[in-house]
Amino acid sequence: MELRVTESSETELSIEIAGEDHTFMNVLKGALLESDDVTAATYDMNPEQSGGQTDPILTIKTEPGVDPLDALEEGAITVREKTTAFRDAFEAAA
Amino acid sequence: MATDYDVEFVEREDREARFLVRGVTPAFANGIRRAMVADVPTMAVDTVRFIENSSVMFDEQIALRLGLVPLTTPPEGEFVEDDTVTLSIDVQGPATAYSGDLVSSDDLVQPADENVPIIQLKDDQRLEAEADAIMNHGKNHAKHQGGVAVGYRHLQRVEVVGDLDEFEEQESQIVRGVVEDDGELVPTSEFDHDLANRYPGKEVRLEDVPEAFVFHVETDGSFTVDELVTRAADSIIDRATELEDAVQL
Amino acid sequence: MMVPVRCFTCGNVVGEHWEEFNARADEGDEDPQEVLDELGVDRYCCRRMLVSHTDLVDVVSPYQ
Repeated sequence: MELRVTESSETELSIEIAGEDHTFMNVLKGALLESDDVTAATYDMNPEQSGGQTDPILTIKTEPGVDPLDALEEGAITVREKTTAFRDAFEAAA
Repeated sequence: MATDYDVEFVEREDREARFLVRGVTPAFANGIRRAMVADVPTMAVDTVRFIENSSVMFDEQIALRLGLVPLTTPPEGEFVEDDTVTLSIDVQGPATAYSGDLVSSDDLVQPADENVPIIQLKDDQRLEAEADAIMNHGKNHAKHQGGVAVGYRHLQRVEVVGDLDEFEEQESQIVRGVVEDDGELVPTSEFDHDLANRYPGKEVRLEDVPEAFVFHVETDGSFTVDELVTRAADSIIDRATELEDAVQL
Repeated sequence: MMVPVRCFTCGNVVGEHWEEFNARADEGDEDPQEVLDELGVDRYCCRRMLVSHTDLVDVVSPYQ
């Protein structure tokens, strides 16, 4: 997973996450939007045939005083915790 | 944070299961589904060396058929991507070569189904080949797809709202999946997918239960359903951890 | 020529059931619908794979 920041300011960040697809990006976006510190989160991804940018670019906007990179880290932690909780619940039922 | 998940099995077999998950968002449900289809690696034949093929099919056609045969996938950690296992097949006609005739060099990697006909051989025809199986993802080729027809539907709640008028003819109300009736989970196949069979003379209403999804998962035999779901979850956990580490740097 | 190993649409392994289906429904006198139900071939994409298949090995083998 290679990260490349394409745009960055106090409360806004665009970052390219190489090698990922909708499977992970949509889950991550969903988790980011659940946070109160994040005002907007989206990702853009193009198909192979477009011949252009095919790796997803994630854009995060945060509330004043919150570093978007911290929000991203927070989002990744949320995804990890949620998935671990799902895994545990599944194993408990299995 | 809504990390209160609740999983309940509705139907369960080794290769096919239906289970209800409560408390997940649609985005998360879809992430799990996609991970099951494309991100759980399985073993499949990828390269075939023909020693003799005098059958009626070309080498390439037979290689494709061998590739599609599901192979049991060893437990996590036993193999990494691009490790190979060699399977050999040697059948002399008149006979039919089956997937069960593949002899593997590793006990953990065996044909999951033994009765898939590979090629029917006539007198004096012979198939002798060595095949290398590799571990790869469903993203790269459908033969590496462990989950077959993986999908989910909303759980639907049935509510009886009243009786039908005495002379009113009941219309059939088709629903597929699993319905919740007074907290009880009922697969719709039990009443032939028609609510009119279950509630004769009643007027019923259906509504989606928010954040409750019924997954239907089938595997091609590479591993059990449990294995597929936990590995799919693991693949998402791995990526989240990787991102976490990458951001911290 | 030979039965497809998997269903084109969903990827379910159907080749596994061909010989039994062929013996019971095509060559036997059982109802194909019942045979498929018993074999556990539920979806119509997988069912058409077996129902519409004809083995052609015997037809082409003289021309090898």
